[in-house]
Amino acid sequence: MADPIARSPIAPLPPLVLRDGWEVSERRSTADLTLADLTPMPKLLVRGIGALRVPFGRAERDGTTLVIGSGPGEWLALGGHPRLEAGGELVSVVDLTHGRALLRLSGAGAGSVLAKLCAIDLSERTTPDGAAFRSSVAKLVTDVVRDDCAGTRSYLLHCERSSGQYLFDALLDAGAEFGIEPTGADLR
Amino acid sequence: MSTKPPPATHRLGPQLGEVIDRTRPLRFTWDGAPHEGYAGDTIASALAAGGVRTFSRSFKYHRPRGILTASFHDPGCIVQAGDEPNVRAAHRRVEAGASVTPQNVWPSLRFDVRSANRAVSRFLPPGFYYKTFMKPERLWPTYQKVLKRFASGGRVSATAAIGYFDKRYAHPEVLVAGGGPAGMAAAVAAAEAGASVMLVEEEYDLGGHLRWGGAEELAFLAELRAAVAAQPGIEVLTNSAVTGRYDDNWVAVLQRGLPQHRERLIKARVGTLIVAPGLIERPYVFEGNDTPGVMLSTAVRRLIKLYAVRPGERAVVLSANADGDAAAADLERAGVQVAEVVDARRGGDVVRVRGSRSVAEVELGDGTKVACDLVVMAVGWTAPTGLLNMAGDRPAYRPEAARFLPGESLAPNVLAAGGLAGDGSLDQLVEHARAVGRRAATGEGAVPDLEVHAHPALFRGRTHGMVDLSEDISSKDIVAAAREGYDSVELVKRYTTVTMGPAQGKLETVNAVAVLAEATGRSIQATGTTVWRPPHVPITLGALAGRMFEPVRHSPMQSWHEAHGAVPLVAGQWIRPDRYGDPGAEVRNVRERVGIIDVTPLGKLDLRGPDVPKLLNQLYVNKWSKLEVGAVRYGVMCAEDGVVLDDGVTGHLGPDHYLMSTTSSGAATVWEWVESWLQTERREWRVHVTPVTTAYASINVAGPNSRELLGRLSDDVDLSSEAFPYMRVRTGSIAGVGSCFMWRIGFTGELSYEIHVPAAYGLHVWEALLDQGADLGAAPFGVEAQRIMRLEKGHAIVGQDTDGLTQGYGAALDWLIKLDKDDFAGKTELAWQHERGGYPMLVGLHPTDGSVVPDEASQIVDARNHIVGRITSSRWSPTLGRSVCLGFVARHLTEPGTVVTVQLPDGRRITAAVTPELASFDPEGVRLRG
Repeated sequence: MADPIARSPIAPLPPLVLRDGWEVSERRSTADLTLADLTPMPKLLVRGIGALRVPFGRAERDGTTLVIGSGPGEWLALGGHPRLEAGGELVSVVDLTHGRALLRLSGAGAGSVLAKLCAIDLSERTTPDGAAFRSSVAKLVTDVVRDDCAGTRSYLLHCERSSGQYLFDALLDAGAEFGIEPTGADLR
Repeated sequence: MSTKPPPATHRLGPQLGEVIDRTRPLRFTWDGAPHEGYAGDTIASALAAGGVRTFSRSFKYHRPRGILTASFHDPGCIVQAGDEPNVRAAHRRVEAGASVTPQNVWPSLRFDVRSANRAVSRFLPPGFYYKTFMKPERLWPTYQKVLKRFASGGRVSATAAIGYFDKRYAHPEVLVAGGGPAGMAAAVAAAEAGASVMLVEEEYDLGGHLRWGGAEELAFLAELRAAVAAQPGIEVLTNSAVTGRYDDNWVAVLQRGLPQHRERLIKARVGTLIVAPGLIERPYVFEGNDTPGVMLSTAVRRLIKLYAVRPGERAVVLSANADGDAAAADLERAGVQVAEVVDARRGGDVVRVRGSRSVAEVELGDGTKVACDLVVMAVGWTAPTGLLNMAGDRPAYRPEAARFLPGESLAPNVLAAGGLAGDGSLDQLVEHARAVGRRAATGEGAVPDLEVHAHPALFRGRTHGMVDLSEDISSKDIVAAAREGYDSVELVKRYTTVTMGPAQGKLETVNAVAVLAEATGRSIQATGTTVWRPPHVPITLGALAGRMFEPVRHSPMQSWHEAHGAVPLVAGQWIRPDRYGDPGAEVRNVRERVGIIDVTPLGKLDLRGPDVPKLLNQLYVNKWSKLEVGAVRYGVMCAEDGVVLDDGVTGHLGPDHYLMSTTSSGAATVWEWVESWLQTERREWRVHVTPVTTAYASINVAGPNSRELLGRLSDDVDLSSEAFPYMRVRTGSIAGVGSCFMWRIGFTGELSYEIHVPAAYGLHVWEALLDQGADLGAAPFGVEAQRIMRLEKGHAIVGQDTDGLTQGYGAALDWLIKLDKDDFAGKTELAWQHERGGYPMLVGLHPTDGSVVPDEASQIVDARNHIVGRITSSRWSPTLGRSVCLGFVARHLTEPGTVVTVQLPDGRRITAAVTPELASFDPEGVRLRG
């Protein structure tokens, strides 16, 4: 029997390669505005009042793990295991690595692209770096985190897995006028 | 027909401030004939340069129409450009190679047969269509054909390429509607104060009326443009318009002329809206005022200064203000013979204009008749208060100024600037605008008052003329309507259709109100105006629609289904494989060998916490406290009214850990139902719910060979019947993928396992099953085959075999409902249903003639033709070789063996017998439990 291959809901663009058991795209774009599929990243849903200290609506790094305060008493940890606070409340941790599609939209024009699909005010004063919210993006319920990379505007977007291709396509469509290009991801 | 464009007989030498580029001539066609213009010309100015005077025919009477305003709102200059109807020729820039044709003409612009309407005009008064074309009804198709010939508007092409329309959201702190001097000054001041600014201008360039001013005004314009360009915080949108202001400064902006998009709708949540649209010049009402050659003073100045076009040879100017005087001076400089300047401030007046195709002569108030080909009117200004009205303000009419000004009830986040707000010198208006801009950005700062200058009140002269050139409504029509009893402004509007044309009242409302006031003996203030509603300018349906966002959901095996010819089934947002070939063959393969089906859309909820059994007991009708780890139970949920809400199986996976499954279509509803209970009714329960519907790829492996097949792929789970009986759940690895769980349940009625695999491995496991099961006959089956098999087993589908009135007992669930439980959702209603009885019940039905498959929803009728039930599910059963059905029948008909009558949609009636069980095949469930 062949070794299991894990696949993202977003069809990877050639050339394809197998990395850590996932079929991913090797393509690297040098465009100013890019969209990458980060779905293979480990994702953990942590529930429980006070389980983590990152406030609702913010995202902070704990080592290499990005902890997103996605709801009251609810966090999504990307990339690793967060350290949980000890407490008396019920705490549950559910692995949603397979349950969410995750994208990164990067570039100076990232805000302009998102503004075509999402009604949230993306200005500096309302949604600065580290802001996290859940809203409708192209009519799909999506979690958005502003997570700038080296001073360049960047957004992480995640949605329930089966609509991943739809979200990816909607972002490419909206970004076409700005010269957006899909790119493979360094999964960190 | 000539192949050369006509000479540009009316093109002037270079004008200071002209927008045409004489180094870039363009060729286009008009009404089939070649014409030439320059880049920067509008369609109308390019044609006017070649001496064209008539651009269209009017709506009802098909009178020839020419340039009136030379702006976006010009009613006579609406043309068809290629595939695009209703193009504003006096605004739209001419494009090389364009094929432009007149609208509303038949057979031609020069000779329009329908102008014969004029001869019968007394039979076509306003509102005539409310009184005619009604009887007899059988002639309506004929009326339609005739009226279509006379209806206005351009042609929509059935073959034109579909445009790309999208939308954009914006959150500017200040939005300035209008890019004239006041708008520009306000935008700069707001940006200097640190605000993000959006400046929206209807024309292709900023500047407003400064653009056709003298050297001084043009120099000032250059300064203002430079100041705007120097502010990075100002986003300038030209050839764009604010179409409406909605609650809380939700503002719609229509952006035109982008490279990839014809029109884009911008939805902006604005901090402060500054309304600076300037003033729109108003036409004068007199006999012949719609003849080609009668123009507004601003039209004349635009033509001369912006497009270097001489509007005529010999002109008479009726002037009531400085702009009229300036137009007369511009005409003289352009070489037009100004025969007379009639000063309305001194009582001068124009009585009528004569000329059938074009102005030939004008009769003045003192009786003199002057031969001319151009009559210029400068009788006053209309304040376009629409956006203010939409913001809740009630502008007031100021008789001394003969126009409306902003009222007192403007919202604090909406401000007016420029001519809309008052009068003054250019410097005064700019200073006022800067103060408005500062206030908009900071919320602080005093805004100086503006004066209101007197202006003669000139609306209708001594004769009757056109009030609405688009709708062909004359002042006489308005007077007649008032006499008929339609004497309020809202009634007159709807009865005559005055102000309901493309300009939506910007050129017509004030005159209409003045005429109505005159006819009813009231003042203009007392008469009031109609309600201003968005959109302020026309907007294409494409811009309103934008991109069609319809989220689609795919399972991880979607690519396999597509590659193997699965017929897609749209199930909500999911695309599912309905069948791969013949569903009957798929059924046979499952019952005889083994089949696999992709059931990923099945709702799955991960439930954790010590109080999960309480939740299950509360929401399901049956009992859950004693479900051991590793066991699975079927449950049905009812709503508070006892109506069946959803069903599924729930398994006890581990300590404080359950997995609930729901129907595919009910997944979201049940999740919300569960969360609603946990967040509002039972907040003390410690339960966490996480939807994991798409975190797992779900595959049902069904058939006599299913155990053998699964055994080949699973090393760590004992699949023997003793170790893994029916209604149990096990976790383990499948095809090398860990953390899978599988439960033994049976929708199809065969030995089967529903396996749930971490979604990323779905395709791998699917392919492994087919690969490993080739010799066992493993083949995929689709939703249709599954529906057939479940029907053979009598399994109801919630929402198909139940409806919004089906309470629990009616769905034949008496074996499941435990009324001895303390409490559960729907208990009270179910107890009452059980007590009163007499409800229709779900039963199995076999048509007497097994070869007839009744349509689903066929009614079941009794001897007196009363409806006593209906067929809810119906299929041909390949297993039994006959049709099988489920359906509702009245209580007295539920005895097994009862014969009922089914009425098919085509009217035929057949008989069917109630079966002893819902299941037609293997009612004992022997095959399941093996």
